[in-house]
Amino acid sequence: MNPQVLLAIVLLPLAAAIIAGLLGNRIGRVASHSVAIGAVALACALSLHILWQIYWLGVPTFDAAVYTWLVSDSVSMQVGFLVDRLSALMMAVVTFVSLCVHVYTVGYMRDDPGYQRFFSYIALFTFSMLMLVMANNFMQLFFGWEAVGLVSYLLIGFWYTRPSAIAANLKAFLVNRVGDFGFLLGIAGVLYYTGSLHYSDAFSAAPHIAQQMLPLSATASAPALTLICICLFIGAMGKSAQVPLHVWLPDSMEGPTPISALIHAATMVTAGIFMVARMSPLFEYSDTALSFVLVIGATTAFFMGLLGIVNNDIKRVIAYSTLSQLGYMTVALGVSAYSAAMFHLMTHAFFKALLFLAAGSVIIGMHHEQDMRKMGGLAKYMPITAITSWIGALALIGTPFFSGFYSKDTIIEAVGASHRWGSGYAYFCVLGGVFVTALYTFRMLFLTFHGAERFRQVPHHDGEHRDAPGHGADGEHAMHSDPHESPAVVTLPLIALAIPSVVIGFMTVGTVLYGDYFGDSIRVLEKNAVMGELAREFHGPVAFALHGFTTPTFMLALAGAFAAWLFFLKRPQLADAAAHRFRGLRDLLIKKYYFDWFNEKILAPAALLLGRSLWHGGDQAVIDGALVDGTAATIGRAGRLIRRVQSGYLYSYAFWMIIGLAVLLGWFLEKSR
Amino acid sequence: MPEPTLTWNSVAPATAEIYLAVAVCAILLVEAFAGDKRRGLADSLTLLALVLGALVTAVYGHVSAHTTLFHGLYVADELGYALKLAGFLIVAVTLIYSRAYLVQRDILRGEYNVLCLTALLGIFVLVSANSLITVYMGVELLALSVYALIAFDRESGIAAEAAMKYFVLSAIASGALLYGMSIIYGMTGTLDLDVIASRVSTGHASLGVIFGLVFIVVAVAFKLGAVPFHMWLPDVYHGAPTSVTLFISTVPQLAYFSLAFRLLTHGLSGVTAEWSQMLVPLAVLTLIVGNVVAIAQSNLKRMLAYSTIANVGFILLGFVAGTPAGYSAALYYTLVYILVVLGSFGVILLASRHGFEADSLDDYKGLYARDPLLAVIMMALMFSTAGVPPFIGFWAKLRIIQELWVTDHSALVIIAAAASVVGVFYYLRIVKLMYFDAPATEVPKPVRHSAARVALAVNAAAVLALGLVPGPLLDLCARILH
Amino acid sequence: MHGFALSVLVWLPIAAGVVVLALGDRRLVLARWIALGAAVVTLLLTLPLVAGFDTSTAAFQFIEHAAWIRRFDAYYALGLDGISLPLVVLTAFVTVPVVIAGWTVIQSRPAQYFAAFLIMEGLMIGVFSSLDALLFYFFWEAMLIPMFLIIGIWGGPRRVYATLKFFLYTFLGSVFMLVALIYMYVKSGHYSIAAFQELPLTLFEQRWIFLAFFAAFAVKVPMWPVHTWLPDAHVEAPTGGSVILAAIMLKMGGYGFLRFSLPITPDASRELDWLIIALSLIAIVYIGFVALVQQDMKKLIAYSSIAHMGFVTLGAFIAYDIVTNTGSLQGAAMGLDGAMVQMVSHGLVSGALFLCVGVMYDRLHSREISAYGGVINTMPRFAGFMVLFCLANSGLPGTSGFVGEFLVILASFKASFWYALLAGTTLVLGAAYTLWLVKRVIFGAVANDGVAALQDLNGREMLVLTMLALSVLALGLWPAPLLDIMRASIHHLVDQAVATKLPV
Repeated sequence: MNPQVLLAIVLLPLAAAIIAGLLGNRIGRVASHSVAIGAVALACALSLHILWQIYWLGVPTFDAAVYTWLVSDSVSMQVGFLVDRLSALMMAVVTFVSLCVHVYTVGYMRDDPGYQRFFSYIALFTFSMLMLVMANNFMQLFFGWEAVGLVSYLLIGFWYTRPSAIAANLKAFLVNRVGDFGFLLGIAGVLYYTGSLHYSDAFSAAPHIAQQMLPLSATASAPALTLICICLFIGAMGKSAQVPLHVWLPDSMEGPTPISALIHAATMVTAGIFMVARMSPLFEYSDTALSFVLVIGATTAFFMGLLGIVNNDIKRVIAYSTLSQLGYMTVALGVSAYSAAMFHLMTHAFFKALLFLAAGSVIIGMHHEQDMRKMGGLAKYMPITAITSWIGALALIGTPFFSGFYSKDTIIEAVGASHRWGSGYAYFCVLGGVFVTALYTFRMLFLTFHGAERFRQVPHHDGEHRDAPGHGADGEHAMHSDPHESPAVVTLPLIALAIPSVVIGFMTVGTVLYGDYFGDSIRVLEKNAVMGELAREFHGPVAFALHGFTTPTFMLALAGAFAAWLFFLKRPQLADAAAHRFRGLRDLLIKKYYFDWFNEKILAPAALLLGRSLWHGGDQAVIDGALVDGTAATIGRAGRLIRRVQSGYLYSYAFWMIIGLAVLLGWFLEKSR
Repeated sequence: MPEPTLTWNSVAPATAEIYLAVAVCAILLVEAFAGDKRRGLADSLTLLALVLGALVTAVYGHVSAHTTLFHGLYVADELGYALKLAGFLIVAVTLIYSRAYLVQRDILRGEYNVLCLTALLGIFVLVSANSLITVYMGVELLALSVYALIAFDRESGIAAEAAMKYFVLSAIASGALLYGMSIIYGMTGTLDLDVIASRVSTGHASLGVIFGLVFIVVAVAFKLGAVPFHMWLPDVYHGAPTSVTLFISTVPQLAYFSLAFRLLTHGLSGVTAEWSQMLVPLAVLTLIVGNVVAIAQSNLKRMLAYSTIANVGFILLGFVAGTPAGYSAALYYTLVYILVVLGSFGVILLASRHGFEADSLDDYKGLYARDPLLAVIMMALMFSTAGVPPFIGFWAKLRIIQELWVTDHSALVIIAAAASVVGVFYYLRIVKLMYFDAPATEVPKPVRHSAARVALAVNAAAVLALGLVPGPLLDLCARILH
Repeated sequence: MHGFALSVLVWLPIAAGVVVLALGDRRLVLARWIALGAAVVTLLLTLPLVAGFDTSTAAFQFIEHAAWIRRFDAYYALGLDGISLPLVVLTAFVTVPVVIAGWTVIQSRPAQYFAAFLIMEGLMIGVFSSLDALLFYFFWEAMLIPMFLIIGIWGGPRRVYATLKFFLYTFLGSVFMLVALIYMYVKSGHYSIAAFQELPLTLFEQRWIFLAFFAAFAVKVPMWPVHTWLPDAHVEAPTGGSVILAAIMLKMGGYGFLRFSLPITPDASRELDWLIIALSLIAIVYIGFVALVQQDMKKLIAYSSIAHMGFVTLGAFIAYDIVTNTGSLQGAAMGLDGAMVQMVSHGLVSGALFLCVGVMYDRLHSREISAYGGVINTMPRFAGFMVLFCLANSGLPGTSGFVGEFLVILASFKASFWYALLAGTTLVLGAAYTLWLVKRVIFGAVANDGVAALQDLNGREMLVLTMLALSVLALGLWPAPLLDIMRASIHHLVDQAVATKLPV
């Protein structure tokens, strides 16, 4: 395959970003967005072309360096691409979603002064994400890893005048840095054992590393590969918002909705999933690490889903749903069902992006109101948005034949089939998750599109979560008119995403999941091959879907949907009663399990306190006060003291001379006796 | 031995002294008859005399080898030759710096110059002394002239007090010196330093010699101003008119170096171990007291006095090394020190005017704004004394430390290094006053004395130039002590 | 034709400085242009050196050798190897923005201001290119004088305390180095650094010499706990002073460790490396927390400098633990590479950050973080630069700040997992204090009328910051050339550092 093409895929968005960023104000809005959209469209087309080559033409994997970043101590660090079936699929997804978001943005950010800047950012993001995905070595992976984090930082704080936004982006960056910290250690570990940063070297060395023990002290030591894998996974926990490093994702909703769709649903947050899948040759050799992955994922999947039930901000509900879905993917990784994780990643990318963009469309229609309690019955006014939302929702809860079904159901079955330590707990979590997912999803649908039209009665106050293009503080937003359907630039991407949300699963499950699509780009040891077992029971998508209607999973989903209908559409007062009854639980959920409380009230203050005490106590009091200035003062005091001897009296001078003489005499006469 | 006939050649090496004696008389006469009519005539004459003296000495006074005259009372060697030339030069410079100062205070009289010259004569005698008698003569001639100089300003009370103190204390010192000498004489039966050197045997030194040695060391320490025999120094530097302080802080150092050199390292070389051991505690005390107390001073002249004491500590360390290289280091240090102090007091003289002594530190606030040239010069000199490259002071300290390492005095190395760091502080404080502080308002702008300013500029330039290219002077000091 | 290239680099700025001084403030315009001209020419003159540098050898190049002080066998000997060349270029490079930045900002005694910096440039280049220990020390100390004056004359309210502290601190350290140098001269009869590196020394001697060097270099770097002069000096110094201080002066400490400590006292370094490593890690973590709570932007950057220099010393001294831990030298050179790159990068980034603070200070005359907020609203261009440099400071890949830290962390993992762990905390801490600064100063709504009245960058400032921004990005995206220049010398250094001087 032609390296120029690969370079083009990466560099086109970068070029667009630079043009829109530096020249944006000169060339104007239209030029800027045309450049960006054009570039990304081209990149998308080329990516699809690559995918086609790789899969249908069976072009061999591309793994080569573009240029040498540096050579240090005979370790050569290069910037290069590894394009195999895994990365090709990822490239296609990334560029496609990115394209949709670009188009959507034209409408969404129409009257935002930062228009060009925004396009520059998302183009830059596309570049970074592609660098991450296409990397063939850890250095570049880390580059992309941090670069997407950077763009996410810039975009969450896009409306930099808002305190909430700039608090959120700082939080996001720092939490991600905590992850990257582990990630970097993992990379260092890989280098330590393989003497190279190239994937291929690391992968081939994996069995050997598995034998090693890393000395932690004179006596203690840890299994090297497990340590490395857990370190790497900590990175994934940061990016893919796994408990306890998930806290940044809900706040990241401060960013404009297109970002939530692109970065915080479809692509960046899935980087962790992709990375672990990419590293399957390493993880496969450490059951401990995989169990760790499994438990973390399961916890995220279930408990983050619960939070979606109590939230009223339409975007945050979807955000929590994203967390939970990422949990599902992580669980899949944990049971060595990497292909299932990747498959869910793909389907999720489509329907979650769809849901976010739909939410954005609602927000536009509602004149930048995000509180679902102030919506209701919108289906009448915004039919396209409503329908596409329904599609997304059905996909999300895993309705048979919808894309989400194939991926999610597979994951659940894989967990069921797995015997890895923790899979029991995980199985409970993922099953419970199905009910929860259905519950919050339908709650959202009902509150937004159905039931009473609450937006008329309630006066609109200047809410915290107003997702307003333009610098937020522009006063009241009373409803001047009924909600209205959004323009074509907004609805077209919805439709464009709705289609794959329905069919992509049906079309590709056979090949991607139960076929050998990933081939050798993912390695699974014999003993872990759960997907193999499932594959034996797979008799085509239709049979799979039909069988899906009979599973407990489906029942749970129905139950969830019914509960949502009962509590939030039919008898809202019941919801309040329940909320009152289970007050404690409700508070726990509203407080988000006190994670933020811990970070804001304990962790941050502790760090600052430590800093202050080190500064005042260590630097100022001890080092400066006692030692440095202290010494100076002492010498000065000594000077003034000795000075007293210089009394000015002749006799004392003479006296001192005699003393000196006497001492010398005594000393030497004593000596020479 | 047969008495050699007194021919010119036989006394030629003593040209400097002979010439100087004659010049003194001449100037006295001129002053006596024309002094009141022609103010400043004597002054100009003196300068002329000094320049001539330098030339005459350079031409006739040079000796290649170590030769003794006058029955071994007097020695002429390269050291003496060089120091005498230096003496002429330095006195000339001091007079150039002082002139305006003296004029303003109306104490510019022939006697002043004459006293300077007699002091110089005493120095010369000391420099060339080869016998205990000659040494003592030189010491006293120098001392007497200095007493008079200190008290020269009749109006000034503190000057009189300073003179008094100096007189009494140095009387004690002279007593000690004389006592020590007599004992040495008693032990060796000779006054001739060469003979003493041969008779005071190395190794087992007799009790008597040690006894005498202590007194001599004390006397030397007093003259140099080593702790605890330093007490006179701050009061005298402070009390004397600045021009006199300039004089006594520079030229006599040549004499005191030779005093130590002739007596200890030559005459009593046999007991080098002992006296260098005695010098160690003196040197250490001197370094510490000098540097530490200097910090507490608010008067610049006093501060420089203590800085002198601190520097004496380094010079003593040179002797402590107890090797020719060490002595040459001490000599180098002495010359460097003189060069720098010359400038420092020169600045004070030029900054001062009638009714304004410019001797308190605060008088230097914002000097840069008032008189950039003086400020720059003073800064260079201060950094030099502090031992910061590229100025010459750095090399002086380097030489001393080098020689201490060579002789394995590691403890002294550390003390010297630490002491010099303490010293840096108060030199920096001067720079701080001149450059960082706002000028005190009421201070009048100094009047221009072009000649002196040029001389001062040259002086400072030398401090820098010899810092950049220290080779020549180093070689000189090494050579003349072979 | 490189006959006197280095001498020119050293003396041209000094000569120009003297000329500028002579012209004085009366002929300011001319003085300014001469200053700028000299700085630019010096920078251009480094280019042929880079071009003509033979990367295949660790030997010194462009050597000049003239007798200086015969009786000490001290020579005026200059030369460059892969370790000093980058630092010389850095010095020449950073001086240009400093001159431009001071163009109109400095009101009192501007001519002397420019002169001081030119003279400093010459002396600093002298430090990096001296092959003779005495000459090295000569430049090393002489440089204190202009810096002393710069802080003292053009500094802030507490400038006197700061500058005295700076001078005494560094002088104290240096004196002990001098003592050690003299000792080795007495032993070897030469002052040439090469001779010292050959000189056989017992472990006892090495220990003391090492500690003497440590006193000098640790203060300059500065390492905890002898770092407290730096925040004061930075806060009080004028912008240019802070830039030179952070960008070049601190590097001399690191350079000293590489040029003196490791090769001259290898066995003592092996024995005492724990000391350096411990202090480096303390610097990274402890200082990271201290930086977090600073209220003064310059202080914050100063503390972050200390933390970043921790990587230099760490990278320089992990070699021994790598050998003991892995039994091979593999990774030692990476640590040193990291240290060097970190020095160059920090020179650019911290310099740029101080210039940024200067830009704001010139407008609002405050360095307090609380005096700002929402600067991006009124100074979008400036905000762009500031954010870029802050991200570089927090080690973002693609900027120069990443390369050094990355290499050092990778290498330190070979020495010990815990070193890497502690060093890695900088990812979080560094980001925390830097980006929190950005949040409070750059982002947010316009905080007060002062910010509302801010003018965006003028052409001169744009030029300066662009220069630095481009170099930061270039070094981050393609550090290979820099490492190629260093490679041979670094490997030579590793050999020297692990070779023993003790009789076996």
